[in-house]
Amino acid sequence: MRAQPRGTDGSLLVSLPWTIGALGVSLAPHVPYLALWISAAVVGCAAWRYIIEKRRGILPSRWVRGGLALVCFLGVFGTYSAISGVGPGSALLAIMAAMKLLETRKRRDQFVLLFISIFLVMSSLLREQYLWSLPYLLISTLIILTAWLRMSAEKSETAKQSFATGGRLLLYAAPLAIAMWVFFPRLATPFWAVPIDTSQATSGLSDTMSPGDISSLSMSDAVAFRVRFDDEIPDSRDRYWRGLVLTRFNGRTWTGSEPRIDSSALQQIAARGDPVSYEITMEPTRQQWVFAMEMPADWSLERTFMGPQQQLSRVTPIEQRIAYKVVSYPDYVLQSELSSLARQWYTSVPENGNERTRDLARAMRSDAGSDTAFIDAVLAKFHEEQYFYTLQPPALGSDPVDRFLFDTRQGFCEHYASAFAFMMRSVGIPSRVVLGYQGGEVNPMGGHLIVRQSDAHAWTEVWLERYGWYRVDPTSAVAPERIEYGARGAAIDGVGVGWGFTAPSKLLQQLTMTWDVLNAKWNEWVLGYGPDTQKGFMEWLGMSDPSWRKMLLTLVISVVSLILVISGLMMLRCRAPAKDRASVLYDRFVKKAGLERRTGETALEYARRAKSHGTIPESTVSSVTVAYLDARYGPDDDGALGRLKHAVAAIRVRATA
Amino acid sequence: MRVRRWARKRQGVDDTTTRLRPGRVYILPTGVGFIFGLMTFAMLLGSMNYNNNLSFVLTFLLIGIGFVAMHQCQRNLVGLELTFAGTDPVFAGQSMRFRIAITNQSRNARFGIRIYHDKTESDVHDLQPGESRIFTLPIVTSRRGWMRLDRFGIRTLFPFELFRSWAWLHMDLGGLVYPAPSDNAPEPPPTRVAHGHRQHDARGEEDFAGLKRYSEGDSPRHVAWKAYARSGQMLSKQFAGADTSSQWFDFEGIAALDVEERLSILTRWIIDADRTLEDYGLRLPATEFPPAHGDAQRRQCLEALALFDGGAS
Repeated sequence: MRAQPRGTDGSLLVSLPWTIGALGVSLAPHVPYLALWISAAVVGCAAWRYIIEKRRGILPSRWVRGGLALVCFLGVFGTYSAISGVGPGSALLAIMAAMKLLETRKRRDQFVLLFISIFLVMSSLLREQYLWSLPYLLISTLIILTAWLRMSAEKSETAKQSFATGGRLLLYAAPLAIAMWVFFPRLATPFWAVPIDTSQATSGLSDTMSPGDISSLSMSDAVAFRVRFDDEIPDSRDRYWRGLVLTRFNGRTWTGSEPRIDSSALQQIAARGDPVSYEITMEPTRQQWVFAMEMPADWSLERTFMGPQQQLSRVTPIEQRIAYKVVSYPDYVLQSELSSLARQWYTSVPENGNERTRDLARAMRSDAGSDTAFIDAVLAKFHEEQYFYTLQPPALGSDPVDRFLFDTRQGFCEHYASAFAFMMRSVGIPSRVVLGYQGGEVNPMGGHLIVRQSDAHAWTEVWLERYGWYRVDPTSAVAPERIEYGARGAAIDGVGVGWGFTAPSKLLQQLTMTWDVLNAKWNEWVLGYGPDTQKGFMEWLGMSDPSWRKMLLTLVISVVSLILVISGLMMLRCRAPAKDRASVLYDRFVKKAGLERRTGETALEYARRAKSHGTIPESTVSSVTVAYLDARYGPDDDGALGRLKHAVAAIRVRATA
Repeated sequence: MRVRRWARKRQGVDDTTTRLRPGRVYILPTGVGFIFGLMTFAMLLGSMNYNNNLSFVLTFLLIGIGFVAMHQCQRNLVGLELTFAGTDPVFAGQSMRFRIAITNQSRNARFGIRIYHDKTESDVHDLQPGESRIFTLPIVTSRRGWMRLDRFGIRTLFPFELFRSWAWLHMDLGGLVYPAPSDNAPEPPPTRVAHGHRQHDARGEEDFAGLKRYSEGDSPRHVAWKAYARSGQMLSKQFAGADTSSQWFDFEGIAALDVEERLSILTRWIIDADRTLEDYGLRLPATEFPPAHGDAQRRQCLEALALFDGGAS
């Protein structure tokens, strides 16, 4: 193998900054997710390469590059355990780009860099799609196209010209892209399931609950889901969004079961009262749980089933934003019969631990006389005694329920739900903990409900004779406003608090709401444009019974006709300018002279021949020729055109004898 | 090859000034174009699989760019006007530089234009609106004679090198190739006293005829030193029927057997004689050029050698 020459001559300076820029723009959205050293490596390599070109230095040798590449790739495998998924994938792409930069010597090597940039942009779109993702993708495409043009540009061509050309071509391509986007048939099911990003933490609910382990609850503003009700939005106290149910308690941690199907679960719901129907647009959680307001009776999501505790889950994790319709009965009786086996299951507690709580529960139960009176007494205890609702409770050691109930007395929903359910179980009342969301914020502009991660909530269900599984929310006894107004306290001044100011909260509130409406529309119409939406849109366009064949046909027809239009536009620009007025007049003169002009003959040469030809008097030939030359090559304003016109018009050809 | 013949048959022989019509500009994807196509296809599959509408946007935008690039690439050539702008004669073995003037009379700039013939390519240039530019195609010559270039191409990869668009032109192009000057030519025949009267006076000088500017090789004895002292300008005295060393280069006088070899030797002699500003004459079996020197003599003689047809008169 022959070593390639490693010198640089500065010829890449025309395009290299743009190529590096394109790489930077496409890498930017990945930076928060990438290990820091990867971004640093890319920046370092880019700077190194640029300085080499600038100083006409030599590129690092094959051994240096090889060693560096080996270290970096091992680093990627060390940092990410998996190699599939957007996280490791984009890390690999970034490292490849950095390594490629170091060996980029020829113009064409930059093609690889630009293709990597395109893939990086695409993988950032797979990771997250926000409202600003579209402008981001347009801008990064434009920069990549400019870099592309710079690669073959002459030195004299300015970057501005390349940018303008790139913009013009992008503008031509836009209608084609829109037509393809609208008419390209969307698939309902993916070909193969690949986890999009395994390295990213889940944003949904945790599958277990250990009050006291985490000592604070994050107040994430991230949207969990949005809800659009067909009719009126139900009261906040009815808006319990059921997620998963935890049934086992080991003295410290509540756990539930894996999602599994239970065909009888739906029959256990006895609806009383009117149904509420609504549509939920749920953000990806990478979990299987599907949220619905209690108690869901019907839902439109495919491959979604109800588990034994009436929790909804989908066969595959929710990797993408999904929309589904649900019909719920806020007023219901759940499972009026409970088998003795189930009864035993829902009352089991560890044999030891949390002794003080057990004693207290037993004492209160015997004082109360009945189960319902006991429940009321416990809730009253939470309400009347010194218990506080706080999002930053102290951590609890061993016997966390005891510690919470008797010592710290501070906690959030999980602490109260756990303590309550444990007390119920201690005296033989079947109980379980439900995790989900509660409440949500009404967006008055969009008319929909926003449920955020900060609305995550835990409550309990106890089973009572005649009532079935009955929802009891112990948190409402401690902090009723949590249920009435949501976790953020009062909705109005909730927005600015995080940034430390509250004064212009009204305006901010309005801005956030507008932003939210935009996001909701964006999700609904652009990101959520799936098989159903597409079908609806096709029907709205007047296509009867849209099938993928019809859509593909429309796609082809519209793309072809758009190409014809664009091609016509380009043709217009390529057309030679019409003959100027002077040439037209001169042609007339030539015709009158009756002497054909030879190819390449100048006006003066022709004049000489025309004079000897003799059809037209010599003086006329001279004046026409002079006027013509003046009109074509002289200054614009001397009236030569008028003279020419006059002179040509004055020619009267004698009838040739 | 067959395609080229087909194109030739289809288009016929072009004028020395030809404007490119859309129908004769061909287009095919390049290697990069194929890779780009594969990439967009992969992106389309990915977008379908993840049902990700924004990556659909990116994919379709790139596909749209591909379509636009295809049209732009073809339009980049359409309407250009190509004119043959001549060649200069060369010696066999040197490159004949065919000059083609390309004029862009349209209102938008044309980018990355080059002309080519087989593997030979000209430089790449942009053409601004209204700009006209000479592109040079150096074609290696091997044999003396009239060299024809019955076909050349014009091509562009603009805008993204995804497509190569080209046109074949069949103009009546040609240039003269002189025989290659021989490297081991024998000494030229000795100078012979040519015709013309001469009256040697005692000093061996002839009739003074006038002054001309001094050029290298003039005898220092002929320099007009008085004039030099006056004006600082070197002038040589010229004499009528001067004793300039004039030679006859005779085709038949060379011992070499091969015709081409003899022509090479003659070429070498002519070049050398021309360089020393000596008069020389050339005698070929059919023609004869009386002794003289200067560009015209050189050209005439070399042309005769280039087109020499074996002496069959």
